[in-house]
Amino acid sequence: MNGPTPALGSVVRVLLRRTIDVYRDSPNAVGWLQHNLNRFDEPLRVAIAGKVKAGKSTLLNALVGEEIAPTDAGECTRIVTWYIDAQVPKVMMYPRGVPPRQLAISRANGALSFDLQGTPVEQVDKLEVEWPSQSLRTHTLIDTPGIASLSADTSARAGAFLTPDESPSQADAVIYLMRHLHATDVRFLESFFDQGVARATPVNTIGVLSRADEIGVGRLDALSSARRIARRYRADEKIRGLCQTVVAVAGLLAQTGRTMRQHEFAALTALAELPRADLDAMLLSVDRFSRAELPDPSTGPDADTRARLMERFGLFGVRLSTTLIRQGMNDPNAIATELVKRSGLDDLRSVLATQFTERRDLLKARSALLAVDLVLTREPRPAAAPLVAEVERILAGAHEFAELRLLSTLRSGAVRLPTEALQEAERLLGGDGGSAAARLGLEPDAHPDELRAAALDAVARWQRRAESPMSGRAVSDVARLVVRSCEGVLAGLYR
Amino acid sequence: MAVPAAVELVDLALKATTAYERSDLGGRLLQTRKRLVDPDVRVLVVGEFKQGKSQLVNALVNAPVCPVDDDIATAVPTVVKHAETTTVALVREGSENGAPERIEVPAARLAEYVSEAGNPGNKAMLSYAEVGLPRKLLAGGLVLVDTPGVGGLGSAHGAATMSALPSADAVLLVSDTAQEYTGPELEFLQAALKLCPNVACVLTKTDLYPHWRRIMELDRGHLAATGIDAEMFPVSSMLRLHAAKTQDTALMDESGFRQLVNFLLNKVVAQSDDLDRRSTSHDVLSVAEQLAAGMKAELEVQQDPERMESLVAELSRAKGNADELKQRSSRWQITLNDGVADLQSDIDYDLRDRLRTITREAEQLIDDADPAEIWEQFAEWFHQQVSSAASANFVWAAERARWLAGRVAEHFAEGADILLPELRFDDEGMAGKVDPLVKPEVEKFGTGQKLLTGMRGGYSGMLMFGMLGAFMGLPIFAGAPAGIALGVKSVRDESKRQLMKRRSDGKQAVRKHIDEVTFQVGKDSRDMLRRTQRQLRDHFSAIAEEMSTSLAASVLAAQNAVKTTSSERERRIRDLKAELERIDGLATRARALVKDLGAGQPVAVGSGAAPRSPARKSL
Repeated sequence: MNGPTPALGSVVRVLLRRTIDVYRDSPNAVGWLQHNLNRFDEPLRVAIAGKVKAGKSTLLNALVGEEIAPTDAGECTRIVTWYIDAQVPKVMMYPRGVPPRQLAISRANGALSFDLQGTPVEQVDKLEVEWPSQSLRTHTLIDTPGIASLSADTSARAGAFLTPDESPSQADAVIYLMRHLHATDVRFLESFFDQGVARATPVNTIGVLSRADEIGVGRLDALSSARRIARRYRADEKIRGLCQTVVAVAGLLAQTGRTMRQHEFAALTALAELPRADLDAMLLSVDRFSRAELPDPSTGPDADTRARLMERFGLFGVRLSTTLIRQGMNDPNAIATELVKRSGLDDLRSVLATQFTERRDLLKARSALLAVDLVLTREPRPAAAPLVAEVERILAGAHEFAELRLLSTLRSGAVRLPTEALQEAERLLGGDGGSAAARLGLEPDAHPDELRAAALDAVARWQRRAESPMSGRAVSDVARLVVRSCEGVLAGLYR
Repeated sequence: MAVPAAVELVDLALKATTAYERSDLGGRLLQTRKRLVDPDVRVLVVGEFKQGKSQLVNALVNAPVCPVDDDIATAVPTVVKHAETTTVALVREGSENGAPERIEVPAARLAEYVSEAGNPGNKAMLSYAEVGLPRKLLAGGLVLVDTPGVGGLGSAHGAATMSALPSADAVLLVSDTAQEYTGPELEFLQAALKLCPNVACVLTKTDLYPHWRRIMELDRGHLAATGIDAEMFPVSSMLRLHAAKTQDTALMDESGFRQLVNFLLNKVVAQSDDLDRRSTSHDVLSVAEQLAAGMKAELEVQQDPERMESLVAELSRAKGNADELKQRSSRWQITLNDGVADLQSDIDYDLRDRLRTITREAEQLIDDADPAEIWEQFAEWFHQQVSSAASANFVWAAERARWLAGRVAEHFAEGADILLPELRFDDEGMAGKVDPLVKPEVEKFGTGQKLLTGMRGGYSGMLMFGMLGAFMGLPIFAGAPAGIALGVKSVRDESKRQLMKRRSDGKQAVRKHIDEVTFQVGKDSRDMLRRTQRQLRDHFSAIAEEMSTSLAASVLAAQNAVKTTSSERERRIRDLKAELERIDGLATRARALVKDLGAGQPVAVGSGAAPRSPARKSL
C-alpha cells in the first residue's frame, strides 16, 4: 500500500544514519540516535499505564499468560518494569548512577518476586525482566507505577517515564487503563499527546476499561454493562480525540483463564455440585465464600482452598465458572477459553494486532522521527539544515502520516461529515486496521475481485464527494486523502 | 430528635416570662423553640464518582430511592427525610420570584430527573430532589443527602460540595474497597474535618473485594499519617438489602450496617440532640436566674432591711457593669470589631493571593500555546482552580470566624459560661457560585481572508518592484516573484499577529474573570463576615440588655421593699419564697435535662492561636 515510494521504515532508517553522520562529533547525539536506530529492530514497546490499582500488572500477566508481574491488594508496582522476550529468564536492576545489577528470581505459587537487595525504590530507574515467552515476541511490555498515587514520587516517576518533559517517549505505544473515567485520566491522556512532531495523535494509545467485572458489582451480566460503557466512551468526542478505541477487559478473569490449573478446576466442579441454594448463599459475599462452613465438609473444598479460589477468580469469576460448569461445560480447557473470551482479552489482543502490530513500522518510524527532531532542535547546526527539511518532508509527504493526522482530525470532530460518511472515512483510512479487507469493511478472507470492486466503488464515491461543489473545503480535503488511501489499497491488490 | 421535654420546658419558661412581665427574656426562648421544632440532622453522603453513594443511601433506608446504575451517575442531590407517606418532590431554587419552586412527581419517575441519563449535566436546573419516606431510622430527624459525584472531589463540583459542609451535621465520605484512599479523598477529609463536627469514612462494596480488610488497614494508615481522626465503617449495601429482604440477621451483621446506623443514631443524632438539650437548659437556666434575681434582692431586703443600702449599691454597681457591656466601647465590642476588620483584610489578602497565583499560571499556559486550540481544556482547568481557591478561602474564613466568636465570648464575660450562638455560614453558599470562564471572540483567519491578505501584500509588492523594473525598462510583470514573496510574508505576519491577538485576548479574559471573581467572592465573604458580626453583636447585646434589665428590676425591687409594714413584710417574704421555689423548680428541670450528659462545653470554643491559612494546593 506504499505505492511507488520506498517504504517509510527504510526512509527513516536512512535519515537516522545521515543524522548520525552529521553529528559524528557529538557523542551524546550519536549515542541517542544509535540507540534509536537499534530500537528500530526491536519489538514494539507497549507501555501499560493508568491510575493506581487500575489493574495494570494483572493485565500484563493476562497478556503474557503467566504470572510474571507481582500483584497485590495495596499499591504494588513502584518501579517501571520492562518485560522482554529472551532465551533465559533474567532480571536486571538499573539503579540511578550505578551500573546495573542482576537480581535473583524467586517464584512462589507461580508468581515471580524480586528482591531489590536493599536498594531503596527511589533510587531504581527501572527493572528489566527477560523472560522466554511467545507473547512477548511481538511486543515488549512495560509495567508502570500508578498515576495519582498517594506516594507522590511513584506517581511522578510514571509521569516522567510516559511523558518526559523534553525527550520523546520511551514507549512506542500505550495501553491506558481506566476504571470508570476520572478527570485525572483525561488530563493525563491529554498531556501524553501534547509534544513533539506528531503532536496530538491519539494513534498510539488504546484505552482499556479495566476491572470490568467489578463495574456491575460482580453480577453475571457485569461484562455486558462494561461493554456498554466502553461503547459510550468510544463514542465520546473527548475520549475519541485521545485514544484509538476503548475496550472493556476483566483483567483478573483473563489472567486466571490463561493460567488456570487442574486443582482449581476440580475445586470449582465440586462447588458447582453443591445444592444451588447453598452455593448462592455462599456467593453472596467474599467473606461468606471464603469462611462459611459447608453443611457437609466432605462434599466441597475447604475454606483455605476457597479463599485461594476467590483470590484468583474474584467473586465474578467464581460465579461465572460455576455457572458454566453447571451448564454442562466439563473440560478445563473449554472453561479457561470461555473465561478468556468473556474477559474481553481477545478483543484487546485483536485491537493490539490491528492498531499496533500492523503499524509497527509506522509507530517505530514516528518514534525515530521524534528522536531526530529532538537532536535537530537541541543542537542546531548549518550542516543539519537539509535534515530538518527532510524530517519536514517525510512528515508531510508520507501518506501514512497524513492518514494518521487525518484520523485524529476526524476523531477530534473538527470536520463536519454525516455520521455514516465519517465512519466510512475512518475505516478507509485504516482506523480499524490497515489490511485491505479491514479498510473496505469486508471479511478477512474476501476474494480479491470482491475487494477490487469495493475499492473501486469507494474511490468513485469519495471522488464525487471531493469534486462536488456542495462540499466545503475541509470536506474536499478529507475526501481527497480518502481517495488516495483507496488508491493505495487498489495498488496493493494489483501488485 | 425534637426532644419533647426540651420543648415543654421552653414553653413553661415562656409562660413564666409573661407571668413575671419580663417579655424581653422571651425573645431568645422563642428562637430556641423554633430551632427545637425544626429537628433536621443533615448527613451529607459524599465521595468520588461511582463509589456506591446512592446505593449506600438506598441500603440505609432500605428502599430504592436513589437510582443506581452501572454506568450512569447521579446529577442532582437527593434529600431523603422522614415523612408519613412516601413523597417525591423536585425543588428548583432561585427562580424569579425568590421562593423555591416545588414540583411533586410520582416516585417511579425520580430517576428521570436525578440521573445523568434523564438530566445530563442537570439541564433541568434542579436544586435538589426531596424524598419523604416513612422509616424509623429517619424519624429522629435524620436527613440523608446523596450528592452527585460527577467530576470527582477535586473538581469545581467538589468545591461546591465543600460550601455545603458547614450546614451539615455529619459527613460520610464514601470510598469503595477496590483501592486505597487517593490524594483528593484525603484532602477532602482534611477540609471536611475543619467545617463539620462529625466526619466518618464509609468503605463500601466489602462483599465484592476479598482484600477489603487490607485496604481498610492501608486506609487507616493513610488517615493516621495525615493526622485525621475519623471513624471507619466497612459496609456492604448489597448484603444489607439482601438481608432486609430475607430477614436474615446474621447477614445483617455481616453487612456492617449496624455500626453505621449506630453511629448515625447514637453519635450524630444524639449529639445534635445533646446540643439541643444543653442549649435549652442553658437558656432556661439563665432566664430562671434573671427572673429570680429581682425577687432574691427583694427577699434579702425584706429579711434584713438594714442591708438595703449596701445591697442597692452593690446592685447598682452590677447594673453599671452590665450597662457598660452594652456600650460600643466595651471590651468585647472592640474585640469583635477589630477581629472582624482583621479577618476581612486577612481573608481578602488570602483570596487575592490565591487568585494572583492562578492568574500567573494561566498566563504562562496561554503564552505556551495557542489559546484557540487549548481553550476548552484551559477553561475547565481554570474554572476548577478558581473554584477550589474560593472554597479553600471559604473554609479558612469559616474557621477563623468561629475562632473569633470564641474570643469574643471570652472577653464578654471572663470565666463565665456564656453560650455561643450557633454560627451559620450557609445562608448563601459561596464557593459554588463561581461562574465558568467566558471564551473570548476568536477572529477567524480563514482561507478567504488569507487569500485577501496575501493578495494585498502581493499586489503592492508587485507594483513596487514592477515600477522599479519599469524604470529599468523591464515589463511590469517582472515584479511578480517579489509580489509572491511579499504576499507570503504578509500572510505569515498576519497569522502571527492574530496569534498574538488571541493570546492577549485570552489573557484579558482571564484577568477580567479573576477580577469578577475577586469582586464577587470578596463581596460574598465580606457579607458572610458582616452577617457573623451582626449575629455575634446581636447575641451578646441581647444578653447584656437582659442582664441590665434584670438588675434594674432588682434595684427597684430592693428599693421598694422597705416601704411595706412588718406584717405585710412577713407575707411578702412567704410569697417571695414560694415564687422563688417555683422558679427553682424550673431551674431544676432545666438541670435535669442535661443530667445524663457528660460535662462539656456546649459549643467548642476556639482557643489558642488563630487558625493559619491552610497551605495552598500546589497548582
